[in-house]
Parts: sequence; structure tokens; C-alpha cells
Amino acid sequence: MRPLFGLVLITFRELWARKIVLGLFLISSLVLLVVTFALNLDVVEGSLAGIRLFGQEAGPEDMGDDAPPLTLSRVVIAVESVVAGVAYWIGILLALFASASLFPDLQSDGRVELLLSKPIGRLNVLFGHMLGVWSAIGILAVYLLGGVWVIMSLKTGVWNPRFLLSLLLVVGMFAVMYAAVMLMGVWTESTALGLIVSYGLIFVSMVLAAADQIGPTLGPVGSPVFWGLYHTLPNFTEVTQIVSTLAEGEPVSSWYPFLSSLLFGGAAYGVTGYWFVQRDF
Amino acid sequence: MPALSVSSLSKTYRTGLLRRASVQALNGISLEVDEGAIFGLLGPNGAGKTTLVKILLGLVHPTSGTARLFDRPAGSPAARHRIGFVPENHRFPGFFTATQTLHAYGRLADVPRTERNQRIPQLLKRLNLDGRGDTKVKTFSKGMLQRLGLAQALLNEPDLLFLDEPTGGVDPVGRRAIRDIVLTLQDEGKTIFLNSHLLSEVEKVCTQIAILRDGTLVRQGSVDELTAVERVYDLVATPIPDTLLETSDLPLDPSPDGASVEADLTQYRVRADDRTTLNAVLDRLREADVEIESITPLRKSLEDYFIDVVDSST
Repeated sequence: MRPLFGLVLITFRELWARKIVLGLFLISSLVLLVVTFALNLDVVEGSLAGIRLFGQEAGPEDMGDDAPPLTLSRVVIAVESVVAGVAYWIGILLALFASASLFPDLQSDGRVELLLSKPIGRLNVLFGHMLGVWSAIGILAVYLLGGVWVIMSLKTGVWNPRFLLSLLLVVGMFAVMYAAVMLMGVWTESTALGLIVSYGLIFVSMVLAAADQIGPTLGPVGSPVFWGLYHTLPNFTEVTQIVSTLAEGEPVSSWYPFLSSLLFGGAAYGVTGYWFVQRDF
Repeated sequence: MPALSVSSLSKTYRTGLLRRASVQALNGISLEVDEGAIFGLLGPNGAGKTTLVKILLGLVHPTSGTARLFDRPAGSPAARHRIGFVPENHRFPGFFTATQTLHAYGRLADVPRTERNQRIPQLLKRLNLDGRGDTKVKTFSKGMLQRLGLAQALLNEPDLLFLDEPTGGVDPVGRRAIRDIVLTLQDEGKTIFLNSHLLSEVEKVCTQIAILRDGTLVRQGSVDELTAVERVYDLVATPIPDTLLETSDLPLDPSPDGASVEADLTQYRVRADDRTTLNAVLDRLREADVEIESITPLRKSLEDYFIDVVDSST
């Protein structure tokens, strides 16, 4: 266990030594400060009497006549939804950018020899690296999303436990997309290719999210291919809907996009592990 | 039990997009390294030295044959528990200090914290890095990095130490320090496997060497055995009377390296086809009242021997 733990620590420290991760931490801290100090909710007898952001009044009058009445729980949900959505899209894209070079670096001359000459199996090297990256990103996600949840809940008394599940989705989908980075890393040792493929998969998922509209129009050959891709590739865009639903405190009607994405991630990690064990360094 | 044994080891790399092209890096290598030896692996570039070391460390999978370290399959975690390795161009994370680096890699080597706390200051001192424990690795010179690499390799107190070009890019003082450490480690009973192009360094420390060429083992033995010129000896004695030199058929000539060793001693070169001839020469000299100071087999420098072997194989 000691060598595995050692590898987790090295990977964790290496990721945190990157300026972009430090930047994510600082931005998260800024968001938490804004939510704590700049967002003032006037609550009178359990109801929302007014909202002030940076001292300026904000409220129903800013949202048009047709807007539904602004309640305390709606404000909490709105803030949590925005933070979860930003953490999901911007956070994962930046986290992938920050971590994409770690695995190719691990396999580079002068590094991989030091690691693989230690009494630690190759699968454990891989597992330790994955755990290190996941835990670093997980801590960032817990810091931001968990922090927002705690602050908003304490300020308003509105506790939305489902929101915490969105935290798992953010870390889970990062892990899925990082599987693509690692797969390309073990195959080509290229950071750029890993990023291109993972960002490409996110782009493709935007098209796949419209499967119900596009699929039937593609004819007898195109349609099965399209649906095959839908069920095989990560459904990054569709999972946004699940994150949003959870942030709103609503039950999720279908977990399929997330589960099929996890299957993709599991398969990609499996292939990565097989190649990593088989290849020569 | 040998520290290291390799039997019929071959490695063919598959290259190209379809992996149809092949490069034979090792071709049926068999060798053993005794415990406590300082073993030097020599060969020109592309001879297969790095591939052999990488197979022994489990970085490369052999195509056929076996490699064992202390009778365990090379590359298994159990075998790697007893080894240390200093790669040629190792890279440590630059954000670590020297002490943090040793803790991190010591943890990977399964060294408990209490032992790390005890050994790290000792190793830093031994490798002339004391006072540098809190310095970031990214500020280290090449020589300091080599010594830090050696420290991480010694942290688990290995029985077998692999050194890949340990003195490459290191100044003469640093080279001397590393050489002294290697010799001290041998005194402690460690086995050293040295892969180096610096033949003068190898000659100074190695007890056994092997020469690879085109993936094939072409020579193996002790440095003294291999570099000895067959049946030629350097004789140091009191001057041999000219009459004896000129009139007899003794296979003896003044040394080409300079005849006079000291005021009353002269160096000669003796060519004797067998032991009987050599003893007959010595008997004749004694009969002529020549006093013999020493007689030693003539040796080439390792560099000359290496070039002869590599050239003769072409």
C-alpha cells in the first residue's frame, strides 16, 4: 500500500504545482467569497424579502412581469445551478487542460524508469496515478460545490441535499473524460492528442444530445451508426441536464447518459491498463 | 546464487504503424553476475546495453529467454525490492526539495517513514548534499542531480544497484566522489551493475565486464583476464648483460615503454609461448645473476581492448 499511496501523493502534488490548478482554486475561493459576502438575502420570517448583490438591489422587478415569484428556495437553486453548471463545463475543461500532460510526463524518459524500477506493479502505478488526479480534482470540486452548498444552506436554511450528487457527477464525468486522455497518452504519449480527443468527444456529445431529433433522419445505415455512437461514447452534454436537475433538487428521470458514460470510461481505463502493462518503456 | 542471471535472452522490437518492421536488439544473451561484483556492461551505441538493463528492471518485456534477479523473475515487484536504479537522465519533479524527493521515492520503494527519517540525512551527508536538503531540486546542477539519484537508489538499502552512465556530464571531482561511493558499496557487499561509456571509469572499479555488440555477447570475464595480452609479460629486473641479450635466443626485448624503471632496475618484455618457456627464461636470467624484481602479464588498457574487440567483430 505504501508505494501506491506514494504515487497518489506525487501525482496529487504534481497537479497542485500547476498554475492552472492554483488558478481554479483561487477562482473557487472568489466564488465562495462572493456567495458569502456579496450576496445578501434579506429573510423575514422564513421568506425572502429582498436580494442584494454587491450592495445593489436585485429581485423580481429585474426579471420581468411574467417571472414567477422569487422565493428563497428558487434563489438557492438558481445560485447552485449556476455554480454547478459552470463547475461542470468550465471546471472540467480547465481540469482536463491542467492534467492532460501528467500521464505522458509519467511515461517520459527519466521519469518512467524511476517509477517502474520500484517494487510496484504497473497496474498499481496506473491506479495510483488515476487516484492522484481524481483526488486533486475531487478536492477542488468539494471545495467549490460543497462550499457553495454549505454557505447557501447556512445563509438561507434551505438544504438541498440532491445538489451534492452533482458533485459526484462533476468528478465522475471528469474521470470519464480523463480516461480518454490516458488512453491517448498510453498510445501516443501525446498531451495535445489527448486534449484534442477529449475535447472532440465533448463536441461530439453536443451532437449526440440531439439524438432524438437527428437519429431518425439519417436513414437505414446512418441511423444505427449514430445510435451506436450515442450508446458508446460519453454523453457529456446530456449529463449537464442531470447536473441541472440535481441542482434544482428534482429527482432524475434517467441516469442512462451518466451510466453509459461511466461504461465508456471504464472500458477506456481497461484498454489503457492493458497497453500500459504490455508496452515497453 | 548469482545476483543476476540471464539465459538465452532475446528481444525484437516491432516498429512501424503496422508493427511489421523489426529490430533485433538482443540475440540470445546468457550471463551471470556474482554477488558482490562490480559488473561493467560495455558496447558501442546500439549494441543492446540499454535494452538488457531495461529487461532486468522490468521496463521492457523480453521476446524470449529468462532474466532473474536473486533467483526471482526480473521485473517482478519482489525482485525490485532488492534493487536500486539510477537512470542516465533521471528527472525528479522540480517542485520537490531534495528531502521531499527522497521521501517521495523512498515511499515508492516501500521504505517506512521511520527508516526514511533516519536514512535521508545520512545519505545526503554521504553524497555531499548535506545542507541541500531543503533546496528545490530544480536548482540542482547535473552533478548534484546524479548524487541525488544515487541517494534515492540507496534509500531501500539495495543488494543490487544498477547505474546507467552514473558519471555522464559530471565533473572530475564529482566522478571521483561517485567512484569512491561505488567502491565503498562494494566493500559493504553490494553488487553493482554499471552501464557506462567511460571506459577509464569502468577499468578503475569493475571486477567483471561484458561486451555487447549488435545484440550479441562477444566477451565476458574479469578486467584483468580480458585485458591481459596472451603470453606476454613485463619483467622488471637488474640490467641483463648485453652478451646474454645479443647472443642467446631468449624471447626477451627491452620494453618499448622505456627501459629504465629505477636507477638499478630495467624493464623488459618477455614473450613465452607456455609456462615452461617462461620458467626457462627466468632460470637463464638467474644463472646470469640477474635479480628479478617483478614479472606481470602485459595488459592493454580497457579502451584498447574494447576497440580491438569491437573492430574485430565487424
